[in-house]
Amino acid sequence: MSELGVVVAEARERLMQRARREGLETVAYRIVDSPLGPLWIAVGPRGLLNIHYGAEPSPLELRRIVRAYGPGVLPDARRVDPVARELDEYWSGKRHAFDVAVDLSPLTAFQRKVLAVTARVPYGELTTYAKIAHGAGNDRAYRAAAGAIGDNPIPIVVPCHRVVASDGTLGGYAGGLEAKRRLLQLERGAVPPGGWPPAHLSRT
Amino acid sequence: MTHPTTFGELLEQHEREIFAYALRLTGDRDDADDVYQDTFLAAFRAWPPPRRGTERAWLYKIATNKAIDRSRRTKRFLRLGDLPLAAPERDGVSLADLATAVKALPTGQRAAFVLRKVQGLSYAEVSVALECSEDAARSRVAEAMKKVKEAMR
Repeated sequence: MSELGVVVAEARERLMQRARREGLETVAYRIVDSPLGPLWIAVGPRGLLNIHYGAEPSPLELRRIVRAYGPGVLPDARRVDPVARELDEYWSGKRHAFDVAVDLSPLTAFQRKVLAVTARVPYGELTTYAKIAHGAGNDRAYRAAAGAIGDNPIPIVVPCHRVVASDGTLGGYAGGLEAKRRLLQLERGAVPPGGWPPAHLSRT
Repeated sequence: MTHPTTFGELLEQHEREIFAYALRLTGDRDDADDVYQDTFLAAFRAWPPPRRGTERAWLYKIATNKAIDRSRRTKRFLRLGDLPLAAPERDGVSLADLATAVKALPTGQRAAFVLRKVQGLSYAEVSVALECSEDAARSRVAEAMKKVKEAMR
Protein backbone atom coordinates (compact mmCIF):
# COMPACT_ATOMS: atom_id res chain seq x y z
CA MET A 1 0.00 0.00 0.00
CA SER A 2 1.30 3.52 -0.83
CA GLU A 3 2.03 5.96 1.98
CA LEU A 4 -1.14 7.87 1.09
CA GLY A 5 -3.05 4.58 1.16
CA VAL A 6 -1.82 3.92 4.71
CA VAL A 7 -2.79 7.42 5.86
CA VAL A 8 -6.26 7.06 4.30
CA ALA A 9 -6.74 3.64 5.94
CA GLU A 10 -5.95 5.17 9.35
CA ALA A 11 -8.33 8.05 8.67
CA ARG A 12 -11.03 5.57 7.69
CA GLU A 13 -10.60 3.72 10.98
CA ARG A 14 -11.26 6.94 12.91
CA LEU A 15 -14.20 7.77 10.64
CA MET A 16 -15.77 4.37 11.37
CA GLN A 17 -15.43 4.97 15.12
CA ARG A 18 -17.22 8.30 14.80
CA ALA A 19 -19.90 6.88 12.51
CA ARG A 20 -20.56 4.13 15.07
CA ARG A 21 -20.73 6.63 17.93
CA GLU A 22 -23.17 8.79 16.01
CA GLY A 23 -25.38 5.86 15.08
CA LEU A 24 -24.71 6.37 11.36
CA GLU A 25 -23.45 2.83 10.89
CA THR A 26 -26.23 0.23 10.92
CA VAL A 27 -24.58 -2.61 9.03
CA ALA A 28 -20.87 -3.46 9.00
CA TYR A 29 -19.11 -5.39 6.26
CA ARG A 30 -15.71 -6.80 5.58
CA ILE A 31 -14.10 -9.04 2.97
CA VAL A 32 -12.77 -12.23 4.55
CA ASP A 33 -10.37 -14.67 2.88
CA SER A 34 -11.40 -18.31 2.81
CA PRO A 35 -10.25 -21.53 1.13
CA LEU A 36 -13.08 -20.87 -1.35
CA GLY A 37 -11.83 -17.37 -2.17
CA PRO A 38 -12.89 -14.00 -0.77
CA LEU A 39 -16.22 -13.71 1.02
CA TRP A 40 -18.15 -10.44 1.42
CA ILE A 41 -19.71 -10.59 4.88
CA ALA A 42 -22.28 -8.19 6.41
CA VAL A 43 -23.41 -8.02 10.04
CA GLY A 44 -26.42 -5.94 11.11
CA PRO A 45 -27.85 -4.93 14.48
CA ARG A 46 -29.56 -8.32 14.88
CA GLY A 47 -26.82 -10.57 13.54
CA LEU A 48 -25.20 -11.96 10.42
CA LEU A 49 -27.04 -10.77 7.31
CA ASN A 50 -25.04 -11.95 4.35
CA ILE A 51 -22.10 -14.07 3.23
CA HIS A 52 -21.52 -13.58 -0.46
CA TYR A 53 -18.98 -15.50 -2.54
CA GLY A 54 -16.68 -12.81 -3.96
CA ALA A 55 -15.04 -9.53 -2.95
CA GLU A 56 -18.02 -7.43 -4.06
CA PRO A 57 -21.50 -7.54 -2.53
CA SER A 58 -24.43 -8.97 -4.45
CA PRO A 59 -26.56 -6.03 -5.70
CA LEU A 60 -29.71 -8.02 -4.80
CA GLU A 61 -28.53 -8.60 -1.22
CA LEU A 62 -27.38 -5.02 -0.86
CA ARG A 63 -30.82 -3.77 -1.91
CA ARG A 64 -32.42 -6.12 0.61
CA ILE A 65 -30.10 -4.89 3.37
CA VAL A 66 -30.69 -1.21 2.52
CA ARG A 67 -34.48 -1.77 2.51
CA ALA A 68 -34.27 -3.31 5.98
CA TYR A 69 -31.60 -1.15 7.62
CA GLY A 70 -31.06 1.97 5.48
CA PRO A 71 -27.90 3.13 3.69
CA GLY A 72 -25.59 3.05 6.76
CA VAL A 73 -23.68 0.03 5.42
CA LEU A 74 -20.00 0.66 6.17
CA PRO A 75 -16.70 -1.21 6.02
CA ASP A 76 -16.00 -2.16 9.64
CA ALA A 77 -13.81 -5.16 10.37
CA ARG A 78 -14.41 -5.12 14.13
CA ARG A 79 -18.08 -6.12 13.98
CA VAL A 80 -17.42 -8.85 11.44
CA ASP A 81 -14.47 -10.39 13.28
CA PRO A 82 -16.52 -12.86 15.40
CA VAL A 83 -17.98 -14.35 12.20
CA ALA A 84 -14.53 -14.49 10.58
CA ARG A 85 -13.17 -16.32 13.64
CA GLU A 86 -15.95 -18.93 13.61
CA LEU A 87 -15.44 -19.46 9.89
CA ASP A 88 -11.69 -20.00 10.42
CA GLU A 89 -12.51 -22.64 13.01
CA TYR A 90 -14.97 -24.24 10.62
CA TRP A 91 -12.39 -24.38 7.79
CA SER A 92 -9.85 -26.00 10.10
CA GLY A 93 -12.42 -28.66 11.08
CA LYS A 94 -12.59 -27.52 14.72
CA ARG A 95 -16.09 -26.07 14.53
CA HIS A 96 -19.16 -28.10 13.56
CA ALA A 97 -21.87 -25.58 14.46
CA PHE A 98 -21.96 -21.79 14.38
CA ASP A 99 -22.81 -19.67 17.42
CA VAL A 100 -23.15 -16.25 15.75
CA ALA A 101 -26.69 -14.89 15.57
CA VAL A 102 -28.16 -14.83 12.10
CA ASP A 103 -30.68 -12.28 10.87
CA LEU A 104 -33.09 -13.55 8.25
CA SER A 105 -35.66 -10.82 8.90
CA PRO A 106 -35.24 -9.09 5.50
CA LEU A 107 -36.59 -12.28 3.84
CA THR A 108 -40.18 -13.42 3.26
CA ALA A 109 -41.90 -15.64 5.84
CA PHE A 110 -41.63 -18.70 3.56
CA GLN A 111 -37.90 -18.11 2.91
CA ARG A 112 -37.31 -17.75 6.64
CA LYS A 113 -39.17 -21.00 7.35
CA VAL A 114 -37.22 -22.94 4.71
CA LEU A 115 -33.88 -21.59 5.91
CA ALA A 116 -34.75 -22.27 9.55
CA VAL A 117 -35.25 -25.94 8.62
CA THR A 118 -32.03 -25.90 6.57
CA ALA A 119 -30.12 -24.45 9.53
CA ARG A 120 -31.00 -27.56 11.58
CA VAL A 121 -29.31 -30.05 9.21
CA PRO A 122 -26.34 -31.27 11.27
CA TYR A 123 -22.69 -31.07 10.22
CA GLY A 124 -21.71 -33.80 7.78
CA GLU A 125 -25.30 -34.92 7.05
CA LEU A 126 -27.28 -34.57 3.85
CA THR A 127 -30.90 -33.88 3.18
CA THR A 128 -33.04 -33.17 0.11
CA TYR A 129 -35.04 -30.22 -1.18
CA ALA A 130 -38.21 -32.34 -0.79
CA LYS A 131 -37.46 -33.03 2.89
CA ILE A 132 -36.79 -29.36 3.54
CA ALA A 133 -40.16 -28.49 1.92
CA HIS A 134 -41.80 -31.13 4.14
CA GLY A 135 -40.05 -29.68 7.22
CA ALA A 136 -41.25 -26.20 6.27
CA GLY A 137 -44.83 -27.55 6.30
CA ASN A 138 -45.53 -27.76 2.60
CA ASP A 139 -44.66 -31.05 0.86
CA ARG A 140 -45.68 -29.80 -2.55
CA ALA A 141 -43.64 -26.59 -2.41
CA TYR A 142 -40.36 -28.32 -3.06
CA ARG A 143 -39.49 -26.17 -6.07
CA ALA A 144 -40.21 -23.02 -4.06
CA ALA A 145 -38.12 -24.47 -1.23
CA ALA A 146 -35.27 -25.13 -3.69
CA GLY A 147 -35.63 -21.50 -4.83
CA ALA A 148 -35.43 -20.20 -1.26
CA ILE A 149 -32.40 -22.39 -0.57
CA GLY A 150 -30.73 -21.17 -3.78
CA ASP A 151 -31.37 -17.62 -2.57
CA ASN A 152 -29.90 -18.29 0.89
CA PRO A 153 -28.16 -15.04 1.92
CA ILE A 154 -26.02 -16.79 4.55
CA PRO A 155 -24.40 -19.85 2.93
CA ILE A 156 -21.97 -21.99 4.98
CA VAL A 157 -23.48 -20.78 8.30
CA VAL A 158 -27.01 -21.72 7.15
CA PRO A 159 -25.72 -24.92 5.57
CA CYS A 160 -27.60 -25.09 2.28
CA HIS A 161 -24.65 -27.09 0.89
CA ARG A 162 -26.03 -30.05 2.86
CA VAL A 163 -29.18 -30.06 0.71
CA VAL A 164 -28.91 -32.26 -2.40
CA ALA A 165 -31.26 -33.72 -5.00
CA SER A 166 -33.38 -36.78 -4.09
CA ASP A 167 -31.19 -39.06 -6.26
CA GLY A 168 -28.12 -38.02 -4.28
CA THR A 169 -26.58 -35.81 -6.96
CA LEU A 170 -25.35 -32.47 -5.71
CA GLY A 171 -28.07 -30.23 -7.19
CA GLY A 172 -27.10 -26.54 -7.41
CA TYR A 173 -25.20 -24.00 -5.34
CA ALA A 174 -24.98 -20.21 -5.48
CA GLY A 175 -21.22 -20.33 -4.86
CA GLY A 176 -20.76 -22.84 -7.70
CA LEU A 177 -20.81 -26.64 -7.55
CA GLU A 178 -17.08 -26.80 -6.89
CA ALA A 179 -17.60 -24.81 -3.68
CA LYS A 180 -20.42 -27.17 -2.63
CA ARG A 181 -18.21 -30.17 -3.37
CA ARG A 182 -15.39 -28.73 -1.25
CA LEU A 183 -17.67 -27.95 1.68
CA LEU A 184 -19.09 -31.46 1.63
CA GLN A 185 -15.61 -32.89 1.28
CA LEU A 186 -14.52 -30.96 4.37
CA GLU A 187 -17.47 -32.36 6.33
CA ARG A 188 -17.80 -35.90 4.91
CA GLY A 189 -14.68 -36.75 2.95
CA ALA A 190 -14.32 -37.23 -0.80
CA VAL A 191 -17.52 -36.77 -2.81
CA PRO A 192 -18.20 -39.86 -5.00
CA PRO A 193 -18.60 -39.12 -8.72
CA GLY A 194 -22.33 -38.56 -9.26
CA GLY A 195 -22.90 -37.78 -5.56
CA TRP A 196 -23.89 -40.07 -2.70
CA PRO A 197 -26.39 -42.92 -3.15
CA PRO A 198 -29.84 -41.97 -1.76
CA ALA A 199 -29.27 -44.31 1.22
CA HIS A 200 -26.85 -41.69 2.59
CA LEU A 201 -29.55 -39.06 2.80
CA SER A 202 -30.86 -38.19 6.23
CA ARG A 203 -34.36 -39.46 7.08
CA THR A 204 -35.22 -36.26 8.91
CA MET B 1 -18.69 3.68 -11.71
CA THR B 2 -22.01 2.57 -10.21
CA HIS B 3 -24.25 4.93 -8.27
CA PRO B 4 -23.63 4.29 -4.59
CA THR B 5 -26.61 2.95 -2.65
CA THR B 6 -24.79 2.79 0.69
CA PHE B 7 -22.38 4.95 2.67
CA GLY B 8 -19.76 2.24 2.22
CA GLU B 9 -19.92 2.40 -1.57
CA LEU B 10 -19.68 6.20 -1.51
CA LEU B 11 -16.69 5.95 0.81
CA GLU B 12 -14.89 3.24 -1.14
CA GLN B 13 -15.39 5.00 -4.45
CA HIS B 14 -14.24 8.46 -3.36
CA GLU B 15 -12.36 8.45 -0.04
CA ARG B 16 -8.90 8.38 -1.56
CA GLU B 17 -9.42 11.31 -3.92
CA ILE B 18 -11.22 13.32 -1.25
CA PHE B 19 -8.38 12.73 1.21
CA ALA B 20 -5.83 13.71 -1.47
CA TYR B 21 -7.90 16.82 -2.24
CA ALA B 22 -8.01 17.76 1.45
CA LEU B 23 -4.25 17.26 1.67
CA ARG B 24 -3.73 19.43 -1.42
CA LEU B 25 -5.81 22.20 0.13
CA THR B 26 -4.25 22.07 3.57
CA GLY B 27 -0.74 20.70 3.04
CA ASP B 28 -0.94 18.88 6.36
CA ARG B 29 -2.10 15.34 7.03
CA ASP B 30 -3.80 16.09 10.35
CA ASP B 31 -5.77 18.95 8.82
CA ALA B 32 -6.59 16.77 5.80
CA ASP B 33 -7.78 14.03 8.15
CA ASP B 34 -10.16 16.49 9.85
CA VAL B 35 -11.54 17.69 6.50
CA TYR B 36 -11.96 14.07 5.34
CA GLN B 37 -13.79 13.12 8.57
CA ASP B 38 -16.04 16.18 8.49
CA THR B 39 -16.81 15.69 4.79
CA PHE B 40 -17.91 12.07 5.00
CA LEU B 41 -19.81 12.48 8.28
CA ALA B 42 -21.67 15.44 6.73
CA ALA B 43 -22.35 13.41 3.58
CA PHE B 44 -23.72 10.48 5.63
CA ARG B 45 -25.92 12.81 7.65
CA ALA B 46 -27.18 14.58 4.51
CA TRP B 47 -27.75 11.31 2.60
CA PRO B 48 -28.98 10.78 -0.10
CA PRO B 49 -26.88 12.81 -2.57
CA PRO B 50 -29.04 15.51 -4.19
CA ARG B 51 -28.98 13.90 -7.64
CA ARG B 52 -27.84 10.58 -9.00
CA GLY B 53 -24.59 10.93 -10.88
CA THR B 54 -23.43 14.05 -9.01
CA GLU B 55 -22.08 12.28 -5.93
CA ARG B 56 -18.47 13.12 -6.73
CA ALA B 57 -19.04 16.85 -7.24
CA TRP B 58 -21.32 16.84 -4.17
CA LEU B 59 -18.50 15.42 -2.02
CA TYR B 60 -16.06 17.98 -3.40
CA LYS B 61 -18.53 20.74 -2.54
CA ILE B 62 -18.78 19.53 1.05
CA ALA B 63 -15.00 19.09 1.32
CA THR B 64 -14.35 22.57 -0.11
CA ASN B 65 -16.74 24.15 2.38
CA LYS B 66 -15.22 22.20 5.27
CA ALA B 67 -11.72 23.27 4.25
CA ILE B 68 -12.77 26.93 3.93
CA ASP B 69 -14.56 26.83 7.32
CA ARG B 70 -11.50 25.29 8.83
CA SER B 71 -9.08 27.84 7.41
CA ARG B 72 -11.30 30.63 8.78
CA ARG B 73 -11.33 29.04 12.22
CA THR B 74 -7.66 28.23 12.46
CA LYS B 75 -5.69 31.13 11.05
CA ARG B 76 -2.12 29.99 11.34
CA PHE B 77 0.98 29.41 9.29
CA LEU B 78 0.55 26.81 6.62
CA ARG B 79 2.47 23.62 7.08
CA LEU B 80 3.27 22.09 3.73
CA GLY B 81 5.30 19.14 4.96
CA ASP B 82 2.79 16.49 3.93
CA LEU B 83 2.06 17.87 0.47
CA PRO B 84 4.38 15.36 -1.30
CA LEU B 85 2.06 12.57 -0.06
CA ALA B 86 -0.49 13.87 -2.55
CA ALA B 87 1.90 15.00 -5.29
CA PRO B 88 -0.05 15.78 -8.48
CA GLU B 89 -0.43 12.83 -10.83
CA ARG B 90 -1.34 14.90 -13.88
CA ASP B 91 0.78 16.21 -16.72
CA GLY B 92 1.46 19.91 -16.61
CA VAL B 93 1.09 20.37 -12.87
CA SER B 94 4.10 19.90 -10.62
CA LEU B 95 4.42 19.61 -6.88
CA ALA B 96 6.03 23.08 -6.96
CA ASP B 97 2.91 24.49 -8.70
CA LEU B 98 0.75 22.95 -6.03
CA ALA B 99 2.93 24.22 -3.17
CA THR B 100 2.84 27.69 -4.71
CA ALA B 101 -0.94 27.56 -5.03
CA VAL B 102 -1.29 26.56 -1.40
CA LYS B 103 0.98 29.39 -0.29
CA ALA B 104 -0.21 32.12 -2.65
CA LEU B 105 -3.97 31.63 -2.82
CA PRO B 106 -6.76 31.96 -0.29
CA THR B 107 -8.61 28.68 0.31
CA GLY B 108 -11.49 29.41 -2.10
CA GLN B 109 -9.19 30.17 -5.04
CA ARG B 110 -6.87 27.35 -4.10
CA ALA B 111 -9.89 25.05 -4.31
CA ALA B 112 -10.66 26.29 -7.85
CA PHE B 113 -7.05 25.61 -8.92
CA VAL B 114 -6.82 22.19 -7.29
CA LEU B 115 -10.26 20.98 -8.44
CA ARG B 116 -9.55 21.71 -12.08
CA LYS B 117 -5.80 21.41 -12.47
CA VAL B 118 -4.94 18.66 -9.99
CA GLN B 119 -8.12 16.67 -9.32
CA GLY B 120 -9.13 16.97 -12.98
CA LEU B 121 -12.81 17.79 -12.45
CA SER B 122 -14.81 19.08 -15.42
CA TYR B 123 -15.95 22.71 -15.27
CA ALA B 124 -19.49 21.44 -14.69
CA GLU B 125 -18.25 19.54 -11.62
CA VAL B 126 -16.12 22.49 -10.47
CA SER B 127 -19.21 24.70 -10.66
CA VAL B 128 -21.14 22.26 -8.41
CA ALA B 129 -18.23 22.04 -5.97
CA LEU B 130 -17.83 25.83 -5.79
CA GLU B 131 -21.57 26.52 -5.94
CA CYS B 132 -21.29 28.93 -8.86
CA SER B 133 -22.11 29.00 -12.57
CA GLU B 134 -19.88 27.22 -15.06
CA ASP B 135 -18.71 30.59 -16.43
CA ALA B 136 -17.82 31.77 -12.96
CA ALA B 137 -15.95 28.50 -12.37
CA ARG B 138 -13.92 29.08 -15.54
CA SER B 139 -12.98 32.59 -14.53
CA ARG B 140 -12.11 31.57 -10.99
CA VAL B 141 -9.82 28.82 -12.26
CA ALA B 142 -8.22 31.24 -14.75
CA GLU B 143 -7.71 33.84 -12.04
CA ALA B 144 -6.15 31.26 -9.73
CA MET B 145 -3.86 30.03 -12.53
CA LYS B 146 -2.73 33.58 -13.25
CA LYS B 147 -1.86 34.15 -9.61
CA VAL B 148 0.04 30.87 -9.37
CA LYS B 149 2.06 31.76 -12.47
CA GLU B 150 2.84 35.20 -11.07
CA ALA B 151 3.89 33.74 -7.76
CA MET B 152 6.14 31.24 -9.53
CA ARG B 153 8.14 34.01 -11.26
